[in-house]
Amino acid sequence: MDNFKTKQAQEAERSVFLNRIIFSSVAILFLGGLIISRLIYLMVIESDALSLRSVNNTLRTQSIPAPRGLIYDRNYEVIAENKPKFQLEMVPEQVNQLENSLLYLADLGILTRDEITIIEERVRRNYQFKSIVIKRNLDDREIAILANNRMLLKGFDIKSRLTRNYPQNEIYAHVVGYMGSISSSDYERFNPSFYTGKEQIGKSAIEREYEHILRGTPGMQKLLVNVRGRVMDQVEKDAFATGNDIMLTLNSELQKTAYESMSGRKGSVVALDPRNGEILAMISLPSFDPTAISLGLSQAEFDKLNSNTKRPLFNRAIAGQYPPGSTVKPMLALGALDMGIVDSEYFHTCEGEFKLPNYSRPFGDWATHGSVNAKRAIQASCDVYFYESAVEMGIERMSAFLKKFNLGKETKIDLASEKDGVVPNREWKKTNFKSKQNQNWYLGETVIAGIGQGYMLATPLQLAYATSIIANRGHAFKPHILKQIYLKDSDEILKNEAERIDHLIDIDQQYWDVVFDGMNAVVNEQRGTAFGVFPENSDIAGKTGTSQVFSMDKRSGDDVPEELRDHGLFIGFAPINNPEIVIAVIVENGGGGRVAAAPVAEKIFSKFLEIGGREVNESN
Amino acid sequence: MNPIDTWQIQSKQGLMHQFHIDMPLMIAVLLASGVSAIAIFSASNSNENFLMSHLISIGLSILAMVVAAQFSPLFYSRISPWLYAICLILLIAVFFFGETRNNATRWIDIGISFQPSELLKIAMPLIVARYIASGSIPLNNTNIMASLILVLLPTALIFKQPDLGTSVLIAFSGLVIIFLSGIKKRYLFSAIILFLSCLPFIWKTIHPFQQQRVLTFLDPEKDPLGAGYHIIQSKIAIGSGGLFGKGWLNGTQGQLDFLPERTTDFIFSILAEEFGLIGVLFIIAIYLFIVGRGLMIAINSDDLFSRLAASSISLTFFIYVFVNIGMTSGLLPVVGVPLPLISKGGTSSLTLMASLGILMSLHTHKRLIPK
Repeated sequence: MDNFKTKQAQEAERSVFLNRIIFSSVAILFLGGLIISRLIYLMVIESDALSLRSVNNTLRTQSIPAPRGLIYDRNYEVIAENKPKFQLEMVPEQVNQLENSLLYLADLGILTRDEITIIEERVRRNYQFKSIVIKRNLDDREIAILANNRMLLKGFDIKSRLTRNYPQNEIYAHVVGYMGSISSSDYERFNPSFYTGKEQIGKSAIEREYEHILRGTPGMQKLLVNVRGRVMDQVEKDAFATGNDIMLTLNSELQKTAYESMSGRKGSVVALDPRNGEILAMISLPSFDPTAISLGLSQAEFDKLNSNTKRPLFNRAIAGQYPPGSTVKPMLALGALDMGIVDSEYFHTCEGEFKLPNYSRPFGDWATHGSVNAKRAIQASCDVYFYESAVEMGIERMSAFLKKFNLGKETKIDLASEKDGVVPNREWKKTNFKSKQNQNWYLGETVIAGIGQGYMLATPLQLAYATSIIANRGHAFKPHILKQIYLKDSDEILKNEAERIDHLIDIDQQYWDVVFDGMNAVVNEQRGTAFGVFPENSDIAGKTGTSQVFSMDKRSGDDVPEELRDHGLFIGFAPINNPEIVIAVIVENGGGGRVAAAPVAEKIFSKFLEIGGREVNESN
Repeated sequence: MNPIDTWQIQSKQGLMHQFHIDMPLMIAVLLASGVSAIAIFSASNSNENFLMSHLISIGLSILAMVVAAQFSPLFYSRISPWLYAICLILLIAVFFFGETRNNATRWIDIGISFQPSELLKIAMPLIVARYIASGSIPLNNTNIMASLILVLLPTALIFKQPDLGTSVLIAFSGLVIIFLSGIKKRYLFSAIILFLSCLPFIWKTIHPFQQQRVLTFLDPEKDPLGAGYHIIQSKIAIGSGGLFGKGWLNGTQGQLDFLPERTTDFIFSILAEEFGLIGVLFIIAIYLFIVGRGLMIAINSDDLFSRLAASSISLTFFIYVFVNIGMTSGLLPVVGVPLPLISKGGTSSLTLMASLGILMSLHTHKRLIPK
């Protein structure tokens, strides 16, 4: 080949070739430089950003829910705890014969045929290595069956999760509350970073109020996952921190007694310690099962609960507003004495009705009481005496005085959605009625306000609180349910200090004595409206009340349909000197205060005595 | 006449030279093969069986290289027309009777199933080098036209399979010889302008999936889970390797399967992730050394055929490297070109090594007759 060419030709060829090789080499260096610059750009300049993307690719941060703090009553009885709930889970890729296994579970009675179809569909849609839940909330029998058949159920596993359990169930439902899934409105109240989204949040009452104390800090684990999301390794783990335990002021014995003595009737009981404002018992009926709600009701079950006309979810103790009826009489008697409208020896003759000029119909009394003074008027609950006092006092002075018992405004107890109640006056009527005509205040409205009827409304808690102002002769302590917090990280106990509030100062002690005498007489003397309900010579002061649901109805007793029957009320405290317990009871549509409410109070007082209250008859 | 008579061994070059083995090239190939074994083991998630089969394939390739080195340049020059003719026939056969896999008709079954385009990687430099060396350079217009036909005929057949990557590389291996043969610069520029003006037409003729690749290359983030996935994950792997890499078997992109095709086209990303910039610069150095050595062999060759064939093999080798690294680092569209000497791949690594063997042959069989 080449040997046929001349040397010159060869040299020419060589020089052309070399020329092009040099050009090629320059091109190679240029392209090589391009590649290297590109690599430097990616691996040095963009390295941090791309490293982050690589980490994001492979690391999944998972939070581990923290157990919630426990709730105790004042004697360390557990009111709310965390209980493992068991569920059957399955990893599809570990199951040998899916269909046979599921059919076997159906034979064991764990699944129904319909559920199998649903599960098979879910298996198809899921990653085969991801665990899916076959059945939630296994009961003991099912757990036993599954445990016995473990060998035949490869790939199936019983897993537990912590759920809230309330051992007393209905009894504490309204005051302690319940748990539920976190909703968007919850995120407005609480820092979302404390939640994993998987756990539940306190939805009502104490569980909601002290959410920030009870909830733990979720742990966190970083997992290495592959491209299909399968977990390959755990990279990092931060342990969770359990939430703080809290002790409530509530006393389970009293709470139970109160609940049981209501015998399933609608209504509410509030008992508190007037010396410090601690709520000893607070119940509302009808109640509900907070454990079931926390486990998760179906929408249908929840709707049923929510649309129940008896409103079981509604906490009557703080949000139920009732006409206080005669329970305001001790307060108004005190007002009349303090204003000088009456003195303790002033006797008024009750003829069973009270007439106002220009009113065609007289205002009736429930009985004819004859000659009554302040004490007797309280004792026998004489309406006429208080009609007259009310007219003398006028609505403005009356409402101002009742407001000193904190009626008409919330007590600021540590529960949300407390209602204000109503203490009406001219101003109130103006702002609360639309039509000009209805905005006028009528004297007749003053008259019935004198016996706690008409527009006047109070919650059971307000009545209990007002009673504690009576019991303490003018001051009270802010009602509260949280007693103390057991701080997990410092082992400290944080006490919820009593906050004294002076409501009525400068009231002559002898006026208080009159009220106390009258309230004692209610319980312990003949013609007392609650006489005979309590043991003889009980060291208890009280007042019954009957608020009319359907006024002007002449029917009585069993003729009246239940929902139109009067509400029975009772307020009381004991012992009379240095009171330790105040009770307010409302039994909706239960008839009068004597028959419906006083017996409930009696049971609670005697329970209080039994479990360590002072000897009641001591001072009498 | 026995070809061995005119081409004789130069014994002063050392023992290995007697066996027609160029030691610098051999060492570079062995180094690259070692890197390949390390990378393949990592890319296969430490699969020892996979590594074993790869090592066997490397062994066979090296054997092919050594065997190829034993034949003289004259032999290659003589068989090149036959080889080229066989390739053409097979390509036409593929066109009519080929096996279709993944929408591409590239395979033909002649006892074993293989891609004729692979064989052309060897045949193309040889035939063009022989044709041009049989005349003289610089080329006249007739020769240029003839050479172009030699190059473009099989290229078109491969392009139609469709196999854009291979057709471009094979065309390059032929065209580069025409370039080295001193084609006039104005022809070169005219060709480039002609090519550019043909681009819209070429765009229309290529397959939608190829169009997609190019579009994806221009903006991979547009479809991060679909067409852009390969490029994005590869860039993440390379960039997250940083200066020193995450360490062998510690690359998350590779070990956790985020990187697709990582034993073949994207093996470079594995190396970059686990050994960093330092590691890949070392690998690039090996490649540049091989290319440099090849060009030196070309320059030192005494005859035109050897020069042209050697330089074509070397420059094509470089283009392989450039296209592969360019595509894994997002500089070029994904065209499916393996990384020479490192990617796992049976026939392609076999033909590549054989071409390096030819390079050795061109160097170790020198003419005894003085110039």
